[in-house]
Amino acid sequence: MDMLQSVTYGFQVALQPINLIYCFFGVLIGTLVGVLPGLGPSAAIALLLPSTFKLAPVSAIIMLGGIYYGAMYGGSTTSILVNIPGEAASVVTCLDGYQMAKKGRAGPALGIAAFGSFIAGTLAIIALTLLGPFLANIALKFGPPEYFSLMIVGLMVLTYLSSGSMIKSLMMAIVGLILGGIGMDFISGKYRFVYGLQVLADGVGLVPIVMGLFGISEVLLNLETEIKRDILTTRVKNLLPTLKDWADSIWSIIRGTIVGFFLGILPGGGAIVASFASYAIEKKVSNHPEEFGKGAIQGVAGPEAANNAAAGGSFIPLLTLGIPSNAVMAILLGALMIHGVKPGPLLIKEAPDVFWGTIVSMYIGNGMLLVLNLPLIGLWVQVLKVPYYLLYPLILLFCLIGSYSIGNNTSDVILMLIFGVVGYLMKKFRYDGAPMVLGLVLGPMLEESFRESLMISRGDFSIFIFRPISLVFLVVAILLLIIPIITQRKKLSTLEES
Amino acid sequence: MNKADRICGIFWLVFAVLVSIESYRLGLGTLYHPGPGFVFFWAAIVLGIMSLVILIQAWGSKNSEESGIHYLGKLSIRKIILVLISVFLYALLMEKLGFIPITLLLFIFLLGIVERKGWFFTISTSIVVTALAYLLFETWLKSQLPKGVLEFLRF
Repeated sequence: MDMLQSVTYGFQVALQPINLIYCFFGVLIGTLVGVLPGLGPSAAIALLLPSTFKLAPVSAIIMLGGIYYGAMYGGSTTSILVNIPGEAASVVTCLDGYQMAKKGRAGPALGIAAFGSFIAGTLAIIALTLLGPFLANIALKFGPPEYFSLMIVGLMVLTYLSSGSMIKSLMMAIVGLILGGIGMDFISGKYRFVYGLQVLADGVGLVPIVMGLFGISEVLLNLETEIKRDILTTRVKNLLPTLKDWADSIWSIIRGTIVGFFLGILPGGGAIVASFASYAIEKKVSNHPEEFGKGAIQGVAGPEAANNAAAGGSFIPLLTLGIPSNAVMAILLGALMIHGVKPGPLLIKEAPDVFWGTIVSMYIGNGMLLVLNLPLIGLWVQVLKVPYYLLYPLILLFCLIGSYSIGNNTSDVILMLIFGVVGYLMKKFRYDGAPMVLGLVLGPMLEESFRESLMISRGDFSIFIFRPISLVFLVVAILLLIIPIITQRKKLSTLEES
Repeated sequence: MNKADRICGIFWLVFAVLVSIESYRLGLGTLYHPGPGFVFFWAAIVLGIMSLVILIQAWGSKNSEESGIHYLGKLSIRKIILVLISVFLYALLMEKLGFIPITLLLFIFLLGIVERKGWFFTISTSIVVTALAYLLFETWLKSQLPKGVLEFLRF
């Protein structure tokens, strides 16, 4: 009954007109961002973050969160119609979605993607509602050693699951960690890696770095090649999937939801990884694996459900533990802290309006998205027709203004641009940016919990092993490190290349 | 990928060495009271080891791996460099010149010179975008963008 009261309270918060409006804006912008290639939810959230400073924390998170799961919906539109993923989590949808469209089945593809996303999103939020308070209770038992070990797991999971070389991902995570150390060390009061530059004294900002790594670098990369967009001009009819489509896809949706949800919860997981994992699973369990890549509806339904479930699930570590599970959540964590809200096990007690209001608004947001995506397909197709030579100056302008308005400081803009170049080079040399961001955000927390643990134990490293929760996490982390070496598993990235 | 990996490997190795030296200088402290450089020293050591692995892999493997870097054509490099110059100049001059003039200049440059669109289109689009951006960011979102040379107009 306590749960019912909490959910009712959540509805009271989420249904306030101001929060409804921001939820709508969030999902609308999210869909737009998902539709437009070259701008992902991380960059969009980072761009809009400064404009939320004047809002109440709950409204800000509702809007920014809406952008994230909204982008999951929008990304499928471009993948299916144009074979260009609107954002990374929709890469997999291109494989079969576009093939379905070429066979004149764009409607059902879009339809099943939207419905699958809705079902998965809703189920994930229900799970979030049920698991959230439970996990928050467990988290109250967490001390510095547990937090340290959990964050190590998070970095390991991300490294294990990211595309490309595992060594490179781990390197990027460490670089992120080092970058996170720039500025003042709170325990000793010393300045680290500042070299007398006042601008570095407060550390390097997360937002400019993310905007540079994901926004600017993407623009630079797209400038290299003329992306020929052959938008399928055949009219998209029959958005409602047939009964047979439903019969074929329902289990894929359910599997995708489960896979996506758990991968979303795990720090280091997230929507991108979830969609790849789901595709791999669907292909494995299918009776007709040869159809994958040629227009198998399961190849759309599963991953689309997975990425939405992951988006929902990834809120759990953020809201209950205060640990971001992926780059987007890291930015949201930054946003919450800027608003003076400290996410963690106490959030549910100290700011129940943020906790329950956000969760409930996600139900509402998912409903809005279903309505937005299907009838407005025509509109999104028009948006896609905006030529890139007009789009990228706008994206650049957004980034420039956005980074400036963080602190009314051109040094943030310059930092963003530097990381834009860095991000571009990283992409060329096949280094992934997500581990760096996670390292940047988790780094300070990781270091703090590590040093606190050692202080508590008077220098005895066994504190990490003798505490059971911490031991479990460390074992998982070690397994994740060792398994690839032993089994030489096929990387999910081979899927990308196929 | 080999040449690229070698360059990267060396870069990260140098980076790791520099960070470990600086971290050591900051103080490693003791095990029961780790200093500000403790975690970063060991992180840099691990980074250094991994960059060595990358280097060894790059030197050891045959050239059969597909090239990950497609070398840019002259045209693409030109665009990227011009865009980079324009955005860096935007950042450096935005407070001096002010939001409206610098944004106009940016769009005129990008559309007119980089993308080589017609001047009527360039100028009209630049004006429209600048006006809309101003309305969005300054008037609605109250971002407090720099006034620069237009200070006297008290927008």
